[in-house]
Amino acid sequence: MDGLPGLDVVDPGLQTTVQDLGRPRQIPHGIPPSGAFDAFSLRVGNALVGNNFGDGPIIGVDPGAAGLEVLVKGPALVARRDLSVAVTGAASMPMINRRPAQAWQTLRLAAGDELDVGRCQGGTRAYVALGGGIAVPSVLGSRSTNVRARLGGIDGRPLRAGDVIGVSVATRDARARTLPHEARPRCGAPWTVRTVPGPHDELFEPGSVAAFFSDVWTVSPKSDRMGCRLYGPTLAFRPRPRYVEAQAGADPSNIVDDPIPVGGIQVPSGTEAIAMGVDGPTMGGYARIATVITADLSVLAQVRPGDAVQFAAVTVEQAVQARVAAERVVEQVANEFIDAGRGAL
Amino acid sequence: MLYQEPVFRPLGDVALGVEFGDELDLRLSFRVIALQQAIASEGLRGVLITVPTHRTLGIYYDPVQTTFEKLCGGLRRLCDELVDLTVLPSRRVSIQVWYDDPWSRECAAAHGAPNNLRYLAEVNGTTVAEIVRRHSESEHWVSSVGFQPGTYQAMFLDPGLAFSAPKYQTPRTTTPERIVCLAGQITSFYAIPSPGGYQLLGRTPIELYDPTQRDPAFRDGPVLTRVGDRHRYLPIDGDEYESLRHQVETGTYEYWIEEGEYRLHGQHTTISAASG
Repeated sequence: MDGLPGLDVVDPGLQTTVQDLGRPRQIPHGIPPSGAFDAFSLRVGNALVGNNFGDGPIIGVDPGAAGLEVLVKGPALVARRDLSVAVTGAASMPMINRRPAQAWQTLRLAAGDELDVGRCQGGTRAYVALGGGIAVPSVLGSRSTNVRARLGGIDGRPLRAGDVIGVSVATRDARARTLPHEARPRCGAPWTVRTVPGPHDELFEPGSVAAFFSDVWTVSPKSDRMGCRLYGPTLAFRPRPRYVEAQAGADPSNIVDDPIPVGGIQVPSGTEAIAMGVDGPTMGGYARIATVITADLSVLAQVRPGDAVQFAAVTVEQAVQARVAAERVVEQVANEFIDAGRGAL
Repeated sequence: MLYQEPVFRPLGDVALGVEFGDELDLRLSFRVIALQQAIASEGLRGVLITVPTHRTLGIYYDPVQTTFEKLCGGLRRLCDELVDLTVLPSRRVSIQVWYDDPWSRECAAAHGAPNNLRYLAEVNGTTVAEIVRRHSESEHWVSSVGFQPGTYQAMFLDPGLAFSAPKYQTPRTTTPERIVCLAGQITSFYAIPSPGGYQLLGRTPIELYDPTQRDPAFRDGPVLTRVGDRHRYLPIDGDEYESLRHQVETGTYEYWIEEGEYRLHGQHTTISAASG
């Protein structure tokens, strides 16, 4: 364990990993960026506890402080020392010492207190930010865990019972904060995910491009941090030149591989849409109809198997506005949403 | 085809692709690398990360420092001035492979596929021995690195030796690590257990991905392979495999990497025509 002993893991939950904002500079080497799938929730959590919340998702230089990403069922953790914490994302009812505590605001743990993050409701992923940030070694510029590649976090794996989570020394900024209700993301189906059309929309039949945006998609249980799979209309492709068939593959959706960003939506064979997640492949050989905008990766991270999803088309400019708006909220949490009535740690 | 003018495609709000063509062609790979070098030497405001692949240079940028339109303008200018590179620095990396190894066979069988080497021989109208000879006698040009950590894609540098095969109709849910594979005319590699649909050629005892970076070959990062490397595959048998694996595991294996350069020859521009 690095840093100071912070929390004992009593119950690791379903799959809890250490995440910051990832290692995008490794993308050219084929290493996915990883990091919090719902970066907005982790960043707000970090801002709530006075941590460095890092740069914006996917392209940042500064990955910010590391916290925990929780999948569906959260961990139970016992504090080894006094700590500020915040629980964000899809957590509905965290408990401290078996008493309900609030999500989206600064919480205080005294040594010996038990934080039970609880189950996610409406969404799939919750985040736990710890004052000072989780102290694990930085690997290739990030503390994020990539389980498949055995990188980062605690030995490249999810938490286990008996782990001790180390924390760095907290910053002096221990003011209590709350994200106002109206600024909290709505969590629950039906979901709308905004995308920029392309890069290969012209390889699809025009009617299929229209159907992609007008029909409702259903989230598959096979979704994970590599990609979110969805069932919906069957999409058709335009005829390809023979040399592309020979080189790229017989499937009408095959292309000669090119770079895939996080959020790129492949439609292999036209029968299933895969919106790439933060641990997803960095390149691939299936035509992509659209790319989820970086602000809405936080939505994609939360959709649940069986949920209905509609994809919307926006311009690059609108997507950038959404990204800047999310950034503004995170900054407001750090600088403006201070609770006058609640004391410092 | 090789496009007259590159096409700029948005990849969401923080990335774009500069696409020089839609096929595999060494000239396209050289153009992608040339643009990457031009960006590195001239600098373009807002560009953060460049990702070379066979035919497209992926570019991640900060949309606050620049815009899609502004960046495309700058890139178009660089592309117009792009010198057609004919020589690139290129390392030659030798990789020992146990072709038709038991793990590949077992993996294919577990997914209901025929023996992949025999299948390759059949669809190319030749023998397994000839497939191994042709694959190991050609050098292979790495024109992209990615998919999963340690995975790359490389094309035959000797079109006369090239052969091809379709991907699996239903991709495997998993493939063991360190398997060398092929689809179309592309040789690829599963560095970590991965889903995939390429035909399995064989298994190497050496690591091309090492997150621990213990060996000096991994000094610059956990992925050995770089775009612009040439790979040479050396056929080995089971005994040699075990012996080399032991060396790798005990840290005594010495990577076989030769610095050099590669010159674009006339005959390599016909790779696509040879694909059949």
